Parts: sequence; C-alpha cells; structure tokens
Amino acid sequence: MNTKKTDYGELFRRFSVPLMFVLICVVCAPISGLSPSYLANEVVTRMGRNAFLILSLLIPIMAGMGLNFGMTLGAMAGEIGLILVSDWQIVGIPGMVLAVIVSLPISILLGVFCGKILNMAKGREMITSYIISYFMNGIYQLVVLYMMGPVIPISHNSLKLPRGYGIRNTVSLLSMRQKLDNLIPLHIAGIKIPVATFMVVALLCLFIIWFTKTKLGQDMRAVGQDMEVARDAGISVERTRIISIVISTVLADIGMVIYLQNMGNIATYSSHSQIGMFAIAALLVGGASVDKASIGNVFLGIILFHTMFIVAPKAGTVITGDSMIGEYFRVFVSYAVITVALVMYETNKRKNKSRAGEQLAMEQKALEEADHA
Amino acid sequence: MHKRIIFRIGALALIIALAAAMFVIGRGHTVYFDNKSGEYNGQEYTAPYRIDVIVDGEKVAKLKKSERGMASTMGQNFSMQLAVTQEKDGEPKNLSVALPLPYDLDGIVINLPALLSGLPRDAYMEEFIPLATEEEEDEEVITDETESLMGFGEEEAAEE
Repeated sequence: MNTKKTDYGELFRRFSVPLMFVLICVVCAPISGLSPSYLANEVVTRMGRNAFLILSLLIPIMAGMGLNFGMTLGAMAGEIGLILVSDWQIVGIPGMVLAVIVSLPISILLGVFCGKILNMAKGREMITSYIISYFMNGIYQLVVLYMMGPVIPISHNSLKLPRGYGIRNTVSLLSMRQKLDNLIPLHIAGIKIPVATFMVVALLCLFIIWFTKTKLGQDMRAVGQDMEVARDAGISVERTRIISIVISTVLADIGMVIYLQNMGNIATYSSHSQIGMFAIAALLVGGASVDKASIGNVFLGIILFHTMFIVAPKAGTVITGDSMIGEYFRVFVSYAVITVALVMYETNKRKNKSRAGEQLAMEQKALEEADHA
Repeated sequence: MHKRIIFRIGALALIIALAAAMFVIGRGHTVYFDNKSGEYNGQEYTAPYRIDVIVDGEKVAKLKKSERGMASTMGQNFSMQLAVTQEKDGEPKNLSVALPLPYDLDGIVINLPALLSGLPRDAYMEEFIPLATEEEEDEEVITDETESLMGFGEEEAAEE
C-alpha cells in the first residue's frame, strides 16, 4: 500500500513538467481564441519542422552524455551547406540533398572535435558542450562574416553584404521553401500534412530503434549506465562516446536543413543558437530527463511545447493587451524548463548517491555486528 | 580490413556521384519571356497580340505586345505550353515548346516571337543582366539578438 503511494508520487514528479504544460495549454488555448483547426495545422507544421532536430538529441542521452547542447554545431554546418547551395543556385529537393552532402564533412569534423573535448570533460558534458557551441559560433561568424566572399567564393550579391564580403543577416531559401513538405500533398479536415517530411522523420525513428539493438547501440547504453563497468567489459568508452556525438551532430545538420526548408529563410547569425535551446526545451517538456529520453518524449514535447508557443502570445494579448508579455513568457518558460530539468537531475543524482552511501554504511554495520556476534 | 576500405571507398564514390547528380538536376534558372518584335540578321519577326505561357500546368505569364513575364525552373530541360493569339479576338493556337537551357546562366531571357519564327538560339535566347541599381546602404550585421537587451537601456540613456 505504502509502496503504491510512493509510486504515484514518483510518477507525478517524473511527469510534472508535461502536466504543467498540459495545464498551461488547456488554460491558454481557449483564451487565445485560436480555432482548433488553426492550432492543429500549426502543431502539425511544427512537428514536421522540429521532429528531426529533437530526435538528434536522443543518442547522446543514451550514451550518458546528457543533453547535447553541441547540436548547434550540426545546425551551423547545415546553414553553411544551405548558403553555399543557394549561391550555386541548386534549388528544390536536389538543393536540400546537396546541402546535406556538402555540410556532412563539416558536421562530422565538428562532431569529432566536440566528442574529443567532451571526453576530456567527463561528468561535465552539458556545460562543456554549451560552451563549445559558443566557441564554435565565433568560428562560424569568422567564416560566414569574413571568409565568405574573399576566401570562399560567393558570387551572388543577394547573399553578400553590400560591403562585398560576408553574408547578409537573412538568406532567402524561397527556391526550396517547403519543397519536402509539399512533395506529397495531403489535406485532412483542412489540416495540411507534410507527408514526405513525416516519412523522413519516421525513417529516423526506425533507425534509432534499430540502432539501439545493434552492438554499438548496446555499447552506448552500457557506457551510459556505467563507464567503468563498460570499460571492464572491453568497450572502447571514448570511441563510443565520440561516435554518439558525431551521429547527433550529423542528424542535427540534416534536421536543420529540414527545418530551414520549412521556414524558407535563414537567420544567418541566430538560427542555430535558438534552435539548440528550443529543441532541448521541447524534449524536456515531453517528459525526458538528462539521462532518459524516448521517441515518445520527442513527439509529446513538440505537441505541448509548440502549443504553448502558439497560444501564449495570443493569450498574453487577450489578458494584458500586450503581445510582448506572451513572447517573453514563452522564452522565459523555455529557459525555465531547461533549468528545472538540470536541477532535478542533479538533485536526483545526489539523492541516489547518498542513498547508496547509506545502504553501504548499513551493510558494513550489519557485517561488523555479524563479526562481533 | 580490406573489405572495410572497399566499402568506405564505395560509399564515398556513391556520395560524390549523388552530389554530381544533384548539381545537374537541381540547377535553378529564372526564365524571362519577352513578347517583343525585333530583327535578326535582316529577318524581322513581329510580336503577336497575346501569348499565354503555361509551365507545369500553371499559367505563369499573359503577355501582350512588348511585355515580359518570368518563371523559375529546375534543370537544363525546359518545356512550356504557349497559347498564341495573333490578332485581337482571334483564336489562340496552342504550342508545346521544349528547349535546353545553358547550365551557367542564372537568368535567361527568351524572346518568344523569335523562338516561334524558328530563328537560331542566339536570336531568341540571351543572358538576363539586371540593371545596375543605386549603391546599397551597408547592412548592420546582428550576430547577437539579445545584444540590445543586455544594455538595460543604458545606451539609450547615454544618447539622450
């Protein structure tokens, strides 16, 4: 009886973030005055746009590396690929494929670099990957702002800044806008379904399910549970961790290309930094934690987080008469969710550690008593 | 080991081949259609009253004399349907036209009357060169969107 009560409490604590978001959505949706069909349309669009990016976070979590803030490195690579492809005037789906191919070596290199550094900072992966993303953002700006033009040839003035080098704040992707989403057109009850994008996302889900059953996937699980035990079992821990980050970075690269084809333009200097935070927040809202996440968390997270994202500004406008309140609210909530998840993770870790210590002390005491007896 | 190297080389070759294919099939062009009279090597061609241009089942331009329309296209083979009306209140004559586009040109101008007159390619096709516009003002690059928020209004206060 007692155990059952504890289970409920544990369950409530585990799903407190999704429950809170359900509550926010239930309260804000009617206030916002948005029609259910509009809301459904927006959520479906955002699901197609974001799912691939958020799924890219799962593999490092499996390998015990936490939330990969370094996914922005993959996003940067994707942006570089799209800028180059735009300059070469390769359009539509071939343009997307080429952008992925061009950015693939960049994202692999960045993934290896990130993985090697994270191996030097075991136990502090999240903060390290967060700082790496800032560092790499500086390099990205150096490349895009100063090297594109004089060093990396960019011929179209529509991409270049008026001074003659560097890329403009916004790059238009009109030539590939929603080409994947509209490849297989389908409307159900007035809701536009991006079938082809969902198919790509479904393929990635299948890949992740298959991957977890492979030898490498099992190795990652083992490394995620206990690095020392995994090492004793003959698993190359460092190599496995690097591979998990490389896979995540490459998936984030492809995810960014899918995301930007849906948006139809690149905010050259800010798209990647925003995407990392929102993807991680959405995953956490779906009930994932720093050490445990599933495909279900991804989709639940997208539905809840983006419903909040859509309704909050409108509800804010209705309640206060100022749409900025809602804007601030959704940004503040994104940061708050990440903070709460990190605090909860750290608290649980410490609690488990002290519980294990107490258990050990009790066992030792029992042994001593047995010896005396 | 030997097998692995062969597999890797094969995968690399496949990716390079895929990239090359994307370069060819994905090349985008903007095609401009002119309905203008003119002359080529002493041979005159006159613009009909109206030409409707249909690309991929969509009417992209309705051109009266001396008018210009445009369409975006992908790949080097361009096909369109033309509905040519020679005189006002006349019956339109439907034609299907397919022509190769040069890879290296972004914008291509096609003079439809010259094309319909059966003249050689350089009579009806030329590169689109945009008119030189006034010098643009420099664009301020925003690398940090929170930059303005971090000043806490101090800069504005200093300006005042």
